[in-house]
Amino acid sequence: MKKRAGRINRVLEIILWIFSIVTLYPLFMVLVTSFKTKAEASYMSIKLPEVWQFSNYAVVLEQDFVQNLGNSVFISVITVLVELCIASITAFVLVRRDTKGCRIINKIISLCIIAPFAAMPTIQLLRTMGMYGTRLSLCCVYSVLNMPLSVMLFSSSIKEIPRELDEAAVMDGAYGFSIFWRVILPIAKPTIATVAIMVFMSSWNELQIPLYLLNSSSKYTLPLSVYNFYGLYQNNWNLVCADVIMVSLPVVLVYVFAQKYVISGMTAGAVKG
Amino acid sequence: MNRKKIYPMYLLIIPMIMMIAFFVIPSTIGYVYAFTNWSAARYADVDFVGISNIIEVFANRKIPVAFVNTLVYALAKTICVTLLGFVFAYILNREIYSRTALRTVYFIPSVFSALVVGLVFSAVFQTRHGTINQILNFFGMQSVQWFGSRWTGVFSISVTEIWRNVGFAIVITLAGMQSVSSDYLEAAKIDGANEWQIFKNVTLPLIMPTVNVNILFSLIFGLKMFDLISVMTGGGPGNSTESFGTLVMHEMSAGRYAQSVSINLVFSILLLIVGAVYLKFSERWENIE
Repeated sequence: MKKRAGRINRVLEIILWIFSIVTLYPLFMVLVTSFKTKAEASYMSIKLPEVWQFSNYAVVLEQDFVQNLGNSVFISVITVLVELCIASITAFVLVRRDTKGCRIINKIISLCIIAPFAAMPTIQLLRTMGMYGTRLSLCCVYSVLNMPLSVMLFSSSIKEIPRELDEAAVMDGAYGFSIFWRVILPIAKPTIATVAIMVFMSSWNELQIPLYLLNSSSKYTLPLSVYNFYGLYQNNWNLVCADVIMVSLPVVLVYVFAQKYVISGMTAGAVKG
Repeated sequence: MNRKKIYPMYLLIIPMIMMIAFFVIPSTIGYVYAFTNWSAARYADVDFVGISNIIEVFANRKIPVAFVNTLVYALAKTICVTLLGFVFAYILNREIYSRTALRTVYFIPSVFSALVVGLVFSAVFQTRHGTINQILNFFGMQSVQWFGSRWTGVFSISVTEIWRNVGFAIVITLAGMQSVSSDYLEAAKIDGANEWQIFKNVTLPLIMPTVNVNILFSLIFGLKMFDLISVMTGGGPGNSTESFGTLVMHEMSAGRYAQSVSINLVFSILLLIVGAVYLKFSERWENIE
């Protein structure tokens, strides 16, 4: 009986690996196509190129790539920093204080995930504030839109820190911000990493919001530049693929090296509720 | 000890100012624009025109198309992603040696931005020399012009969205299954339950909360789908593959600002209803068990 179950598991394992071709094939195809000539690239296949065209990447680099990369890095990093500051303190107060008002604030934050992005009103508001078209405005909007997930992640880890620690700190004369800074934050370090990575990936990949909020091409983020690049070179799949590879490389690297945090970030909220 | 004194509300001032400025105000007061004649042509002097925009939204013949498409995208995605995620997670939860490696591989698509995935799949679904058509030709079938008509377009976009999200569902469902204590499973085994009974009566009820979160996320993000559509078909041919998200964008770039805001308003009400109804039902399901 046990032997049979073992054999079934091996067969299932092989089937799963065969299925993974569906996942890997398109990605591998893009990688291979990015080294082809234009004529070769019009046939979508995983056939290796006859001559490896590294010059495709040079063409992509010429298209303001460095500038757009700089914009993306700037926006993502600032967003992560802002998000860490506002989400951690919000979660701390909401979890520990736990009054009726706090629960209402919590509800409003979770509405953020449901409501669609109010594009025109946000643009108008940013205009009034004189922030429209700036990279900083994107950071603010991103960090607010990422609040639900980040606050949820911080809340679930702060809930696990025993209240006695806070009380001991109060005995020592600490309160408010110093409890947060000296007691809670050091314990919540793994969550900081998780939130940072999740927010980084989501703001790096965002297309819709920069499409609405950025108006000059000197401030374009990488996804936006790919979007325009595709419009220009729609038939040059080799160039489009090279661009796609370059743009995705940072998030793929983050995923490869910080997989633990990505997976725990995805699951923590969902499993613990 | 006085909680209110230890955890003072003023710590929330900055986060709350940001929340109110960048989310609450645009998503509430901002919708005032839905009741004006604001447009690219009338930028400076904006007048209230009552609910005529909202009436126009319901009379607009693009709306039923976008409405149906949005629902199809969201439901196709939610159903397929949840079921596939469930099946794969269930298999992965057995004694599989390369579980971590498989999980990593299946999760990879979720890392890429929707834009990149959309680009890759516009290549896959290309009419000439696209991967899908190559496979069809190999089996002696005619090439299909995937982005040429409404339902093939909707189909290709949905397939792409499912491809992108299955990994996410697998990871979440698997984590839910692994958090089921083995004590329950052993107790059921001792009582003589077979595998199906254990699954139906022990595992399923215990992971239902996780699956619910998964379904809710799939639904909400499926309804809000934007990137894939704008990359793959741009809403075309005509407006036939448009969703609410892209429709709002297109109305805006056409200069009809007030209409764009009105559609967005109707859309957010729809989303709120879906979210509220789903939460209500899922609470009931969890209480039955």
